[in-house]
Amino acid sequence: MSAAKSKSPEPELRRTVTPWGSFAWGYSDVGADIFVGLGLVLAWAAGASNVAFLFAGVVYVCIGLAYTELASTYPVAGGGQYFVMRGLGDLFGFIAGWAVLLDFTIDVTLFSWSSVDYTSQLLPALVNSIHPWLHFIVVLGLVLGLCLLNMMGVRESTAFNGFVSALDVLSETLILCLGFLFAFRPELLIHTMQFSWPAPYQLMLGTSLAIVSFVGLESISQAAQETQRPASIIPRTSVALILTILIFALAYSNLALGLHPWHPITGPNGHPMQFWQIFPHNADNQGKAVALLAEQVPYYGAFAALYVPVLGAVLLLISSNSGVFGSSRIAYAMSTANLLPALFQRVHARYRTPVISIVFFSSIAVIELIFAALPALFPSASALYSRFFHGENGLEFLADLYAFGAATSYSFVFLGLIALRLRDPLSPRKFKIPLNIPMRVAGERVDFPVIAVIGFIGIFSILLFTLRTHALGRIFGPTWLVLGVILYLLYRHHRRLPLLRSQRRHWRTDQIDILRRAGELELMDEYIANLKASDARRAKQT
Amino acid sequence: MLVLRGVLAVAMILCGLAILARMLMTVAAGFAVLPGIVLAAAMIALGAHRISLILRARRPV
Repeated sequence: MSAAKSKSPEPELRRTVTPWGSFAWGYSDVGADIFVGLGLVLAWAAGASNVAFLFAGVVYVCIGLAYTELASTYPVAGGGQYFVMRGLGDLFGFIAGWAVLLDFTIDVTLFSWSSVDYTSQLLPALVNSIHPWLHFIVVLGLVLGLCLLNMMGVRESTAFNGFVSALDVLSETLILCLGFLFAFRPELLIHTMQFSWPAPYQLMLGTSLAIVSFVGLESISQAAQETQRPASIIPRTSVALILTILIFALAYSNLALGLHPWHPITGPNGHPMQFWQIFPHNADNQGKAVALLAEQVPYYGAFAALYVPVLGAVLLLISSNSGVFGSSRIAYAMSTANLLPALFQRVHARYRTPVISIVFFSSIAVIELIFAALPALFPSASALYSRFFHGENGLEFLADLYAFGAATSYSFVFLGLIALRLRDPLSPRKFKIPLNIPMRVAGERVDFPVIAVIGFIGIFSILLFTLRTHALGRIFGPTWLVLGVILYLLYRHHRRLPLLRSQRRHWRTDQIDILRRAGELELMDEYIANLKASDARRAKQT
Repeated sequence: MLVLRGVLAVAMILCGLAILARMLMTVAAGFAVLPGIVLAAAMIALGAHRISLILRARRPV
């Protein structure tokens, strides 16, 4: 990270991503989340699903704004881990990055799993509850296949991402417009909210699962480092991305609660059911909620039933691939910052890809898959899970850990943002989160971000909900963090680096280099002028 | 292309306003209308954001 290192002739990423490409990159990652999150939230939060999405959505808007400001100010590889390391120091940077890595590995398994669930809508042989071994083998095949493709450096192109994203935005808009026009009953929504309001425990669980629909904002910072003039482009595309995802999540949850199904739905005893009632205690349905909802839109549903499962499966697979790719990239960035062993920087001689990172984190994804699939594969394991973990199914297990990793890393990102506003007020911020309190710290004028405090309280409460309500998440999530910290301390001890304190870094020269590489020359000049003015002020004072 | 984007942005604002009006009419339902109001506000905000970008793109340098 030092200036000397950054001037070495290392190959760097080409900055060729356009504004639409930047939007599509984020959308193909975060946009897929609603395909997984909707069914899980409907299953637990029932008549308060839209409120759960509202709460998580407000927190998500705060997170999105934080990432937009940070990614446009520091457009570098590493994302949340880099921001936290720069704001709070090496140890916290490691913890944030390690939590993001947990999320990326879960992302690989959860989205491959859900991709197969969507496919099972057209190929019933893949239904998990009927053929668990076939389901397991196909998911495992997808995870290993993605690992292999990433090792060979094959990745979907930005153009393909853009095409799938455009198709999905169009499709979801159509489903929602036609659904609200022909199948939505406002009085049914109000009735459902009044008479199917969940118990506080279930609402907490549903809200913590709703955050699953908004995970993947790391992609904003990943796009930032490959976008020309990111300080100008990223805020434009991120605001559109944040609002689009929020609109879809709120619209889907309201529609699902007030939907009058096209084809009557009946329960096992023949009684008519509301649409949302098909999700509790049915993991197969939870995994393909958007496809089931699209089917129930009058007339259009007949067509949607054919293509929505395919579109969902493709989008989820792209998102799953971003997990393999993202984990290796974050591990690489952490390794160059001396937070992880240099092993994770090792690049394949022929394919020029970080093979060890890819294999290591894909292996963790496989272990998570085995844990998730065990109850369905072996009845004895199912009894064990019922006894100790409230009988969570595979999808819930993965969502638990996903929520834990996201809430942990996002909590640190908010703290990192506050710290950077206080410790680095001289870096020009072309986009700044609104609602700030001006104050002076160490002779410099700083803007204290109120939204970051609100966002931190929101995401921290979601983290507490996760720990309170997720039996598996509260064991495996903290275990992952503790193991990571032990690995970090051992590595730092081995390298004779400070264990709890941070390594000495040259942030000023780094920042100039970052802005120069990003093509933000005006901002670079502004930053240098700010530094000179600040130094002159200090010299005058002394 | 800019005109089409502009039309879509205006349509989004109009949809948002329609949802907002519908929600305000049923405000007696209390808390239940809140997610709908936020949905409408987000649609209006996205439409306005898109229009501001279009206006910026059309402004002569």
